Amino acid sequence: MTATATRPTVVPPTRTVDREAPHRRRRLRADLLVTGAWASAALALALYLSTGLVDLGSPSAAITSIGIASGLIGSDLVLVMLVLAARIPAIDRTVGHDRAMAAHRSLGKPAFSLLLAHAALLTIGYSLADGSSVVSETVTLFSSADMPLAYLSLGLLVAVVVTSLVAVHRRMPYEAWHVVHLLSYAAVLAGLPHQLSMGGVLAEGTWQRPYWIALYVVALGSIVVFRVVRPLVASVRHEVTVESVERIAPDAFSIHLAGRDLDRLGARGGQFFFWRFWAPGTWWHAHPISVSAVPTARSARITVRELGDGTRSLSRLRPGTRVSFSGPFGLFTSLVRRNRKVAVLAAGIGITPVLSLLSRLDARAGDVTVIARGSDESELYLWQELQDWADVNGMRAYRSVGSRARGRDAWLSAHDVARGVTTRSVFPDLADSDVYLCGPDGWADAAESALLAAGASRESIHRERFDW
Amino acid sequence: MSARATVGGAVVSGAILALGWIAGAAMPAATTATVATGTGTSGSSSGSASGSTGSSSSGSGSASSGTGSSATSGSTTATTGATDGTYTGSSVSTRFGDVQVQVTISGGAITDVTAVHLTDHDGKSVQISNRAAPILAQEVLSAQSANVQMVSGATYTSRAYLESLQSALDQAGF
Repeated sequence: MTATATRPTVVPPTRTVDREAPHRRRRLRADLLVTGAWASAALALALYLSTGLVDLGSPSAAITSIGIASGLIGSDLVLVMLVLAARIPAIDRTVGHDRAMAAHRSLGKPAFSLLLAHAALLTIGYSLADGSSVVSETVTLFSSADMPLAYLSLGLLVAVVVTSLVAVHRRMPYEAWHVVHLLSYAAVLAGLPHQLSMGGVLAEGTWQRPYWIALYVVALGSIVVFRVVRPLVASVRHEVTVESVERIAPDAFSIHLAGRDLDRLGARGGQFFFWRFWAPGTWWHAHPISVSAVPTARSARITVRELGDGTRSLSRLRPGTRVSFSGPFGLFTSLVRRNRKVAVLAAGIGITPVLSLLSRLDARAGDVTVIARGSDESELYLWQELQDWADVNGMRAYRSVGSRARGRDAWLSAHDVARGVTTRSVFPDLADSDVYLCGPDGWADAAESALLAAGASRESIHRERFDW
Repeated sequence: MSARATVGGAVVSGAILALGWIAGAAMPAATTATVATGTGTSGSSSGSASGSTGSSSSGSGSASSGTGSSATSGSTTATTGATDGTYTGSSVSTRFGDVQVQVTISGGAITDVTAVHLTDHDGKSVQISNRAAPILAQEVLSAQSANVQMVSGATYTSRAYLESLQSALDQAGF
């Protein structure tokens, strides 16, 4: 570990009021968002209860009623998932895209289970009422209007959920998973008609019907607006193209982008965009990549590590390739900062958002400490640039290279830990610092628990997750 | 997720559910028979045997009642009272929608039964009624009365159908 710039300054930690107020507002917005999500699920059930159609009088009626209720709640959760995945700027500014997607993922299984239960319970409930077998009831249902679509919807959901199971997801190329995942839009659409025609709760003339239609319009509308229309408009307006591709390491490269009025995108240091490069083989899906240099009026830079075929093909992009994008996203910015002192931990390609973050960090000399980690020298991407910036701005920049240590400070290299380096010795003021943490999940988990043990508060740790 | 969000979500959800429950409990009872067309006969619950015309049906099994009274294989006396024409029965409300039946009497016999309106609250009840109505019509034609077995799995539709039919037959003096 090498200290490249040490200008120790002893200033008592001060908290500025204007950093607290936005934080409180953001927390309030986040809590309202969570409350709203739960309330919508409750409302789905409450509207059903209010129809007076709930009948628990006989086993068949009770099973049918529970089946209808689970279908309604499941549908509501699916719509909440769509809203979370819609990349709505207000939601991103409130909880960050990564946390929104974590919530999206955590709702996946409950929503799917409820919809499966819906199909199973209604088939059983109806077959009990009709005195027919489950099989013949299924045949009857299948021949009803809109029901083939509903079964198709369920089948598509099965495909989406199975491919998103951790075990399966890991073994699939990201691109294949992504294509299957897009089928969930088709699943939602295919599931809608039978709700309106078969469902007594949403029958014509009831006021639940406009409510549910409005929910669908909001959820699907936000997808269309924020994932299609706005990115399209911004891409046309800013005319972003690839200027050059610069190899910075055997397995990493920077893409220099040119465009118009890129500073007006409002991107903060540490944020990322979804970039779509209109070249053969790569145009069909967007890559989430952080800016390693905050966009200026005419240029921006992103840095990519080759992790799979998708990212490798980006290294062969030709100058002039058209680029469309959506963003900026992420709360890995100075916006969430509450303390004067800042601790920054980056591992591997996690350095990219850190570079752009530091370039826009308003800090006095000595307030910022950065440590970059790599399993070898070649993994310290853009280290020289970081070091130069730290030198000029009075930031402490350290590096921790080599295989990882075991035990409490497992985020450091074994070599450093053997020398007596600890989390506390690198960051003595964690209790009064904001911590920015970016790197692979396993490493970041280790770092987070070490930071908490060394006095950081959970709220002050800002972590960018790269695992969407 | 903060404690405030958890508590807020629980309280708001609970309140919404309570309101829904109260609203649901306040809804009118499910099956209430209402008489739409005039000519009284509102009390014609399906069990009360009107003069059913045995004629051909005495031997057929179709008349064994699910509704209480067996078809009295009986005389032509009832038939003589009927006036030819088309009669529309009362509209009977069920929780799945209204049911109304039209009956045509010709030559002192029931010659046609058609549904003016069937349960339509949702696709499932439409499906059930569409299955049940032709069966009921067929049974009524062969039994020449409203005392026929209900179609299994279509209890609400059957009950309302036969009740509406009975009121139409009463109008006809059948």
